Amino acid sequence: MSAPGTPRARVAEPATPIPARIGSTVQSSPHYTTTRRHSLYGTEDRIILDPGSRIWKVGFSGEGRPRDVMLVADSQHGETSLWKLTRLEGDVGMEEQERMLEAMLQDRLRAVFHDSLLTDPKSRKVIIVENALLPLYIKEMIARILFNNLQVPSISFASSHLLALLGVGRITGLVLDCGYLESTALPLFASRPLFPNLRTTPLAGARLTNHLRALLLYFGEYYPPLTSLGGSANTPAASHPKRVPAEILTDAVMEEIKMRCCFVGPALDDAENLTGSPALEADSSVELEVPPSDMSIEDSEASHSPSHRASMDVDMASVSVPSGSTSLSVDAAPHVRQGEAYLRKLRKMYERNSTATNLAFKVVPPPGSQTGTGRGTLIVPGWIRERGAEVLFDGGDVDESSVAEVILDALLKVPVDLRKTLASSILVVGGTPMLPGFIPRLHAELIQALTRPLPSPSPRTSRARNTSTRNANKPNPPPYDHYASIRPLAPHIAILNNPSPDSSSATGVVRSSRASAHAGKAPAFTPAVLPWVGGSLAGALKIGGEEIAREKWDEATGGQDDEIGPDESMEVVDERPRRAPHILPDWSRAPLLPGAPPAPRPQQLPAMSQQAAVGA
Amino acid sequence: MAPSVNYHCPCLSSAATPPPPNLPSSSYSFHPLHTLYFCEECDAVRCNRCVSVEVSGYYCPNCLFEVPSASVRAEKNRCARNCFQCPHCRNTLSVVPSDPPDAGDLTSSTIQIGSIGEPPFFLYCNYCRWDSAEVGITFEKPTGLALQLQKTEDSAPDSLEFERLKEHFEPFLRASSLSASTSHLPSTSHAPHTHTNPITAAASSALARDIPGVGKYNPSLGRSGGPGGGGGRSGRDRTANKDEMPEYRSRVQIGGAGSGGDEDADLMRHLEVPAEIARLEQRWVSSWATSLQSKHLKPLRIPLHSKPTKRCPSCRHILIKPEQKAQSVKYKIKLVAANYLPAITAHLPHAQIPKRPVALKSSVTSSTGPPAAEEDTAEPTMVAGKTYPFQLALTNPLYDPIHVRLAVQRAPLPPQLQSQDTAGTTDKEKEKTRRPPFAVSLPTSAFPIAAFAEAWEYEDEEELFDEDGGLVDKSSPAKDRAGKGKTKTVGVLEKKANCTVVGGEVVIGREGRGDVKFNMLVSYTYRSDDPAPSDGGEGDVEPRSPTAPKAAPEMKTFSFFTVVDLGVIVPKDETKVE
Ligand SMILES: [Zn+2]
Ligand SMILES: [Zn+2]
Ligand SMILES: [Zn+2]
Ligand SMILES: [Zn+2]
Repeated sequence: MSAPGTPRARVAEPATPIPARIGSTVQSSPHYTTTRRHSLYGTEDRIILDPGSRIWKVGFSGEGRPRDVMLVADSQHGETSLWKLTRLEGDVGMEEQERMLEAMLQDRLRAVFHDSLLTDPKSRKVIIVENALLPLYIKEMIARILFNNLQVPSISFASSHLLALLGVGRITGLVLDCGYLESTALPLFASRPLFPNLRTTPLAGARLTNHLRALLLYFGEYYPPLTSLGGSANTPAASHPKRVPAEILTDAVMEEIKMRCCFVGPALDDAENLTGSPALEADSSVELEVPPSDMSIEDSEASHSPSHRASMDVDMASVSVPSGSTSLSVDAAPHVRQGEAYLRKLRKMYERNSTATNLAFKVVPPPGSQTGTGRGTLIVPGWIRERGAEVLFDGGDVDESSVAEVILDALLKVPVDLRKTLASSILVVGGTPMLPGFIPRLHAELIQALTRPLPSPSPRTSRARNTSTRNANKPNPPPYDHYASIRPLAPHIAILNNPSPDSSSATGVVRSSRASAHAGKAPAFTPAVLPWVGGSLAGALKIGGEEIAREKWDEATGGQDDEIGPDESMEVVDERPRRAPHILPDWSRAPLLPGAPPAPRPQQLPAMSQQAAVGA
Repeated sequence: MAPSVNYHCPCLSSAATPPPPNLPSSSYSFHPLHTLYFCEECDAVRCNRCVSVEVSGYYCPNCLFEVPSASVRAEKNRCARNCFQCPHCRNTLSVVPSDPPDAGDLTSSTIQIGSIGEPPFFLYCNYCRWDSAEVGITFEKPTGLALQLQKTEDSAPDSLEFERLKEHFEPFLRASSLSASTSHLPSTSHAPHTHTNPITAAASSALARDIPGVGKYNPSLGRSGGPGGGGGRSGRDRTANKDEMPEYRSRVQIGGAGSGGDEDADLMRHLEVPAEIARLEQRWVSSWATSLQSKHLKPLRIPLHSKPTKRCPSCRHILIKPEQKAQSVKYKIKLVAANYLPAITAHLPHAQIPKRPVALKSSVTSSTGPPAAEEDTAEPTMVAGKTYPFQLALTNPLYDPIHVRLAVQRAPLPPQLQSQDTAGTTDKEKEKTRRPPFAVSLPTSAFPIAAFAEAWEYEDEEELFDEDGGLVDKSSPAKDRAGKGKTKTVGVLEKKANCTVVGGEVVIGREGRGDVKFNMLVSYTYRSDDPAPSDGGEGDVEPRSPTAPKAAPEMKTFSFFTVVDLGVIVPKDETKVE
């Protein structure tokens, strides 16, 4: 290993983003260092917490696997994630939503220490595996609860993308985190996240669930449980399949179908590809109407009424954002509802491209159904199992890049000299890539996007709109091929944790030696747990990142919030939780780009405008 | 749902008054009395959301073995003896020898464990008949199985890979932090950071070099080498291994392990029964590429439980301390709020009297089946536009009589006020925050509750403890309200032993909807010369009464909030449907 080189001439200001966060926020006090030394003994292990919006992984540093993995969504109230991409607007709604979230976060965090790890929080330092887009207000809530309620001695936040790379023994790479609410591609070089090049798309786990649900509602079959054993009448009802009642497709059932039945088939031919099929495009209609965010099952039932369905067939071009809400995000809706005609076309195409078996799945019948007892049967067609995930690979939409496009978009933003390095060091993490076949398919999609024949001179309308949008941002794009400048990278594309690195060589591109040296060479940790494993490693190596000590926090926030006696005055007190501005380091407020657009983490920005804002 | 009364703990917010009761979040601030603690030092209620919890002992919930805390960490918080769960049904597994008597039944074989069994032992599920030999797990000795299994866990591929990763990074970090601390970077040079944060130190030592095309992110310079900008001039591929990190060689490469790849996809494609695939929860703790199939699931070691000691979050006094023994459910110290605050229960007499015949009949006729539907109709319903009496029964836990005063919290909090104002003008305002459209009357003057005494000290009042029904239905002065209505609804209805029943009234608006749920302030006055009735030995300091000399008998007042939930309002039109 070579010694670190001395800085070369051009280095005048070695202010990288990371030191900038450090320097600007915390000064060490001698007191802090000494107490630290003492407490290290015996309680050296850090708590590593990877707090996803839906699933948390917790454990101790230095161990190769988390001690516990827990579902944190408030599933009793039909929630699928603890927080959403968007915050409610308006004072009352938002405050209440934040109070609820903080109370639930407190429950979960207390459970981590008291029920799961059985350890005393007051003696345990904590490393938070931080997703780059974890909303700042949630980060502050987590810190507030850990410090004030649980009184942990220190917290550090470490980039989940960086930690994932550590987990495969690297500090340079392009990491796609395909989680529940969104997929985020972030290039990192020499352990430095290149945040301005971050790209994100809402095509992720939640979207897949919604899509699967829509397909099952239209094309699944449901057999209610047989009427009681000595059944009164012969029950023709039970022997004929029924339309799938929306109530049976609960979040729990959907997750089970997803993880137990679904997988990702090989890439479709370009000719078959959704975006490449003009016939399909003509009346494809994705409904973008935004229901109130507390829309519940009743609403989804309503979407089955014929009248409602008719209204879904909105022409693509005429889809517009409802007035008063620039923060449109389809994920605000529990179900992405799609026109039936469109889904029927999908079915035709998917059926042609699937050989998977149909599966019978036992489900609890809808409440209040009169027939029989016991469980009903849901038939999950094989093509849904194999092709449901197509929704994640379906590109061509400027607002919603496919999971492959989001990688390529990040690559486009990366400085030219780093592109080849990063293209051959792609790492895929998160829960959604646990689907069998996901990563090989992603590889095939990347190659396909870089090698596809150039589009005809008369592009389809939506593509034209895409390019014109991008024209605004980029000085010199090639006319029709968005990825022209990175086409030469095709042979270098390698996914470090590709479980089948050789199967996808069938794409016809000869792999470069560098790509061959990297593809599939990562250790066999699962994509979902890699960021946690990296956190555990960082904790063991004492490189968990900058620590915020509780003393520091107390100083900045004016002591603990919870020392409240029963003050009997009925006096009105401002209930807003106290903010701790700038005590928590955060990349989004590092002084990176003066005059640049606002950092992409202001809470009200939706995913799609984030995408525009991030590195534009 | 029967009417309920929950008690406020102020820990969740800095406000002195509780949140409006109809906000969903208010449920996090109110708790059943029996879950609350009371700190004598602070003279305050504490709840399970704010007490600080320490582990005073670990034990296995299955074998009740008390595990010394020293070994808990190494044994990964799990029982190191013979306790396992079935990976399929979570039933506790038994240890059986490998020579099950041919004709014998399995129960006898399990009884003989340790006496006769033949060496390879395995784990067996009496419920779903799974056994660990199916996944190749057998044991030479029938004791300490978990420890034997853990040894294989410690040499599991993920552990070994993890160790290799550490070895991979250590020399790099050592070199980098050395160079970082000696050579450069004023911004990170105040001592702790170069050490606590060597990954960034390491990185910055690498990054201090000129990286082609990577802008310096210098605030004053802007992005000198932004995307597509000045960076791309060098034509040569100089980027290989620029980060100075040697290539990591995995012990086990994912590309060879194949998990999640084409083989798994193929397995899924030809799947016949979903149950062949392990559930996500059965797989997700494993960090290592493992089989998808349920038939490969391994037995689970049983997680230990802890005995928690709970302390007051502000003064650190112990509120609850369990006895050490795993079998014991007793506490050495137990300062529960129920010993300090009057217990309050709520009743809706109208819901019980008129519906009683229906409920009785149904329970007689269909005594076998659950008469769910009938009971639903027997639930307290309050129709919009009507007026209902309700009763609150307060029971005094103190050895001294108390005087209680009740007040409905009328002053809404700012957010509610706001929304209320807007709700007056526009209907668009969120329903949940608008003011509940009902009015509650409660007795305004203070009323006494007699001291708690042991049962035999009261005269013959057996019905004292069969609280709800007994007090209401026996010969109480207020019982005739059902027939005639307006005898006396608001005021003290009944005093019996240490329980006093007061009546209130709720007037529901014509357009009323939602829950009849209101915050109620309860203040009670007691003699403080005899501070702690039962457990507390340390009650001689009274921080809340700095003015009074503590020797003299003195009246003190303690106040707390409750939320009373009487039930749902039935809108007018819906009642006709019924
Ligand atoms: Zn509390
Ligand atoms: Zn045990
Ligand atoms: Zn079993
Ligand atoms: Zn206290």
